[in-house]
Amino acid sequence: MAQRNVLAGANFSGRSAALRALLQSDALVGKAFLIGPYAEAALSGLTNTVRDEVALYGMQTPNGGNCFAAENFAEMQLRDPQSLSGGEQVMLALHCFSQSAYRTIAVDTAFEQLDPTNRAAALDHLRTCDADIFLIDNRAAPEGFTATPAQPQAREFSIDWAALAALSAPQKAAGISITNLNFNYPGTARIFVNAGIDLEPRHAYRVSGANGAGKTTLFKILVGALAPDTAEMTLGGQTYRPWRDGNRALALATQNPDQQWCGATLREDMTRRRRIATRHGNAERISDERLQSYTRALGNVSLDAHLYELPLAARKRLSWSWPFAGVHPWILLDEPTVGQDRATRESLARHLTLMCEQGYGVLFVTHDDEFAASLPHRVLLVANRAITLR
Amino acid sequence: MTPNGAVLFVVILIVAAMLADLPGLVVICAVAAAFAVLETRENAWSALRRAALLVLPLAAFMLAIWVGLIGKSPLEIESGLPGSRTSALLYVATVSLRLFLIVFVLQAVLLCFADESPFSVIRSLRAPLGVKRLLVLTLSLIETLRHAVGRSHMALVASGVITRRLSLRNLGHGWILIQSVWLTAITTVLGRLRDKWPAENTLALLEPALAQQERPMCARDRVWHLVALAAALFVFGRLILGTA
Repeated sequence: MAQRNVLAGANFSGRSAALRALLQSDALVGKAFLIGPYAEAALSGLTNTVRDEVALYGMQTPNGGNCFAAENFAEMQLRDPQSLSGGEQVMLALHCFSQSAYRTIAVDTAFEQLDPTNRAAALDHLRTCDADIFLIDNRAAPEGFTATPAQPQAREFSIDWAALAALSAPQKAAGISITNLNFNYPGTARIFVNAGIDLEPRHAYRVSGANGAGKTTLFKILVGALAPDTAEMTLGGQTYRPWRDGNRALALATQNPDQQWCGATLREDMTRRRRIATRHGNAERISDERLQSYTRALGNVSLDAHLYELPLAARKRLSWSWPFAGVHPWILLDEPTVGQDRATRESLARHLTLMCEQGYGVLFVTHDDEFAASLPHRVLLVANRAITLR
Repeated sequence: MTPNGAVLFVVILIVAAMLADLPGLVVICAVAAAFAVLETRENAWSALRRAALLVLPLAAFMLAIWVGLIGKSPLEIESGLPGSRTSALLYVATVSLRLFLIVFVLQAVLLCFADESPFSVIRSLRAPLGVKRLLVLTLSLIETLRHAVGRSHMALVASGVITRRLSLRNLGHGWILIQSVWLTAITTVLGRLRDKWPAENTLALLEPALAQQERPMCARDRVWHLVALAAALFVFGRLILGTA
């Protein structure tokens, strides 16, 4: 009889450590398929195309013959696995598992990146396949799984939300408007065709859509990291082209916090951001003194702690310090709740509501309906190469 | 052409290019050009452009040093002869052409397999498993660095530390990008080494994956090998006659 286990507990309760210890035990080492929280622990990193990734794992006897999401990858055979969206990478990893001979699979919060349809399909697949399953997931525990509580660790990195609210300074966000947005990655289908959005300050917008629809791409365009083929963008009625003139209005916290740092420590990261912020007159919001207060509130972490040595969930929380500091009036959060427990998600929703009241504009991407429901917001649906306000 | 045939073709031409004098290089150049046009078609231009981009700056530097500054060739310096800028120019031309040819041939051969993934090309090579595994891991590291560049660039542009366009800020902050790339690459590699690969014994999967689908050489390969050998014989002939 196959085991179906959910390692239960809040953040820093030792779930990932317990999972790692389990996978390194004599009985399982080298025999379990792992889908970690981000790409480096979800995909093999040994191949350059989806086809080769599948071939690498599928050289052995297929696992029960129940191939997962084959149709999703039929047209992506030559895509670079690392260029897929976070959700697509998780789907690909599960697809590879379904083609492999592994009889054990461990999933560390990765399913939180999936849209509701894909998440349901992924969990259904796990329920029907003949393999032992070890799952860490901060959403509702799936049916048919046994919950095993993890042993709490010494360090908790708990957030002092009241202190964070006290630190939050008012802002005056200006409206953002984009029209005639066209964008495509070289060699792939078009992501946006004549798309447009109008964003009003003091509101939160949930950017919604299926995995791979272009939500993160939209964020990258807004902060100027990607240049659209064409687009007319205004900020407060004035022409604004961040991809050409630099970003001075939107603070982004990325899905994977490690794709956001500008230094090895938070002090280094913020010092570099401060030099740029000086040009826009908001540098005092990330003064050393305020930063100390922020890092105390966001888990009592030293400013000089090496970011990459902290637990992933703690790094994710620290990544919010940049948008929360209020240097920029618009806050962009890409999957902020991935890897975060229920209590943190609820408090985060309250804090974002407060920031909207203080004059900020908020855009967030999430597949977590429960989190989105606890935060007053409008929905921007990214689908069919367009962006629609719902 | 098959990957195995391409490897042998490259080895013959590179060895010949390393030993060739100027007339020999001209012959190899003709073979390489014919190969690029016939085997890579429209990609020949890309191979030419990439080779030129890599070698031209070095050629310009050598030209400035040997012809402009020193004014004689290394051989003349060694022999204590008075020397001339013409012989220095000839020396720079020979070295640059040799480098250009090596890069051009490598690029042309790589572009022959532009429609295939590096993994499938390595898989079809007739080589010891250890060599294939090493090639896959090397490419994996290169790919990791490439993605690290993309991610770090995005992070630094989003934060305003660098800009997407050429700017003075990029000149001052370029080193931050380098630091960021290394941090990202190291984290990614450590993540794999610590979690994914030991849990799955992922590297063991390479053995069955790489052992299959070796592609034997075809008639077309042999034609190109004969052409390359003829060029190599010309080079060796000149070398032997010159020594005699």
